[in-house]
Amino acid sequence: MVSAQKGQVRVITGNAVGAYGALLCRPEVVAAYPITPQSEIAEQIAQFVNNGELDAEYVEVEGENSAMNVVLGASVAGARVFTATSSYGLVFMYDALQETSGYRAPVVMVNANRETPGIHAVSSGQQDMVSTRDTGWVQIIVENDQEILDQIIMSYRLAEDNNILLPVMVNYDGFYLSYLAEAVEIPLIEDVDAFLAPLKKQTPRQKLVPGVNIGCGTHGIEMGYVEARYKHCQAMERVKPKVDEIDKAFGDYFGRYYGGQIEEYRTDDADIIILASGSATGTVRTVVDSKREKGIKVGLVKLRLFRPFPAERLIEALQGKKAIGVIDRSVGFGWKYGPICTELRALSREIGTAPILSYIDGLANLDITIPHIERVVDELDTAAKGKPYQEVTWIPMEE
Amino acid sequence: MVDATKKRNRVFDYFIEEEQFAGGVAWCAGCPLELTARFVPKVLGKKMIFVGTPGCAAPVLHGQNIGAWHHLAYMASVMTGVPSKATGLSRYYHKTGQEATVVCFTGDGCATDVGFQPLSGAAERNERIIYIAYDNEGYMNTGNQRSSATPLGAATTTTPVGKIKRGKPTPAKNMPMVMLMHKPRYMATATLSHLEDFAKKLTKAKEAAKEGFVYLHVFAPCPVGWRIDSNRVIEVCRTAVRTNYFPLWEAENGKPRFTLEVASPKPVGEFTKLMRKFSHLDENGMKDLQRTVDERFALIKGLCEVYKE
Ligand SMILES: Cc1ncc(C[n+]2csc(CCOP(=O)(O)OP(=O)(O)O)c2C)c(N)n1
Ligand code: SF4
Ligand SMILES: [Mg+2]
Repeated sequence: MVSAQKGQVRVITGNAVGAYGALLCRPEVVAAYPITPQSEIAEQIAQFVNNGELDAEYVEVEGENSAMNVVLGASVAGARVFTATSSYGLVFMYDALQETSGYRAPVVMVNANRETPGIHAVSSGQQDMVSTRDTGWVQIIVENDQEILDQIIMSYRLAEDNNILLPVMVNYDGFYLSYLAEAVEIPLIEDVDAFLAPLKKQTPRQKLVPGVNIGCGTHGIEMGYVEARYKHCQAMERVKPKVDEIDKAFGDYFGRYYGGQIEEYRTDDADIIILASGSATGTVRTVVDSKREKGIKVGLVKLRLFRPFPAERLIEALQGKKAIGVIDRSVGFGWKYGPICTELRALSREIGTAPILSYIDGLANLDITIPHIERVVDELDTAAKGKPYQEVTWIPMEE
Repeated sequence: MVDATKKRNRVFDYFIEEEQFAGGVAWCAGCPLELTARFVPKVLGKKMIFVGTPGCAAPVLHGQNIGAWHHLAYMASVMTGVPSKATGLSRYYHKTGQEATVVCFTGDGCATDVGFQPLSGAAERNERIIYIAYDNEGYMNTGNQRSSATPLGAATTTTPVGKIKRGKPTPAKNMPMVMLMHKPRYMATATLSHLEDFAKKLTKAKEAAKEGFVYLHVFAPCPVGWRIDSNRVIEVCRTAVRTNYFPLWEAENGKPRFTLEVASPKPVGEFTKLMRKFSHLDENGMKDLQRTVDERFALIKGLCEVYKE
């Protein structure tokens, strides 16, 4: 494949990028319901449709649960679909999220991460994503505006691949990226068409066609149900190498690589590693560089794929390291560690004896700052030397 | 294609399709839900898609670890997503020029309660779908609990007759009226004792759904939950009409008119005596029930007058 032409560079917000990402992939049915900090996506796509720039059915639903159900119905009928949400909107879809993945419907959704507690918090945090992690969706976390755009395009290649057929949720930090204007290269739509063209060469997936006796969503019990679940889990396993493969194809064509399931930054010779995700990884990279100048061998692993959890790639990246710090932007109930840290600890045996330190930071729009990360590096450095350390630290509570 | 204006005398004249269901399906003997489900595709034809949900209809419409018990396309949903899934299907079929009649087929419980929000939303957006609510006045599949469609005074398993409280303390949500206020492209009430009327309404519904939203409210007593002899269910339907408990009317673009006006309606007691769910009602209870019947009838009659040409 030759490479894509240079796209137009524009300075736009993460939400606008979300809408452009959708536009470029030509969804045929879009349904969305406004919620802070995502509303601009719903508005912008409506504008595209009303301007005739996007030839899609746009359904202004009466709630998020319906948004997910509308795109599910359309997807089952054969459409390419798109929706966007955040926070309570995402959890209001909870039953429909499970139906969508159960139907193996290749829905692509953008989720602007926001707190989702029992008490209101209109602020950033990954709690919404964490609360829906076992709904059978692929969940990907991105770092900046360009990555939002690129990941939406890659997500269609993933979701609609006949060997996958799963819904994909693209997560980005609400507020931080929603309203942050950055320079973004917007590819030409013909190039996006070309990148997505391999999907059209596949055998068409099964659709619900009027007049044809096909049933969808039967009351599976006993073996019918077990088989569907088994195949769903198998497909999830296939997602992992596929994400790497698509990332490579995307990079080869558009010139931007993201590392696939995880991105590794200065990890090769690192003794200590910070595992982080989302917009805060930029800050971590800065601190890695400055600490390296002081002689501390620190590296960053950016978690891009949250579901399925990239076990194999993480083991490879973390094996033999001397200390690992995990930064979580959400909380877990039942374990004292943050949710991503808890997941990582399931790999303790494979990773080795490195202490794993859990950090809770950046809840409710509190910034994950350079001093916060410097502190994490210093503590990891101490732990790596075999000295005592604190297992779990809520950074803002100790400031 | 059936011409909606053509004069047809017998119900068979409306059928454009053979029976679509298997024999011996998993419904109780004498259940009008079965008759309704069998009836609908005969009139609407094979290009219909059943979108259904948990409730007594589900095992037959969507199968239970086997295929469904019919020859049609279908999509199952949880109770909260039926009209929205239908919206997605219908929008895409329309966009791609595929002929389809997308039919939501749910119980009163789904329509009036947990699934009401998306129903109201789809009606307001004027989606090209037909929503058929079969009304057995309660959650029958889960064991005869009350729904918003359960009438005043009726005994159900969650409004049981006790020493201090006896039956449901509030009247049924007036669902046909609620839907009329959405001004759907077409809506109607129907029941199994008046099959030509029902068939005609389905024929109209099919045409109207090419332009917008259609709501059909079908009275479908549950012989098990209401405690009716299974051979008397159609008589119960007919008596519901003759007592004005369930008047037959329709509305095009929000303008209601009766499709049958009962010359001298009988007291509601004629209807309630055919079942045992009201048998605990005393004279006052019966008066209150009669009052809701009269009020509702007066309301729809008044609206018919308003819109009379
Ligand atoms: C969200 C949800 N809550 C509860 C149930 C349990 N449930 C299954 S069927 C049903 C009652 C349905 O009543 P209705 O729609 O009137 O249909 P009917 O059973 O009377 O045919 C309920 C409450 C469910 N399936 N989903
Ligand atoms: S419980 Fe009632 S509504 Fe349900 S199938 Fe039996 S008779 Fe019909
Ligand atoms: Mg019911």
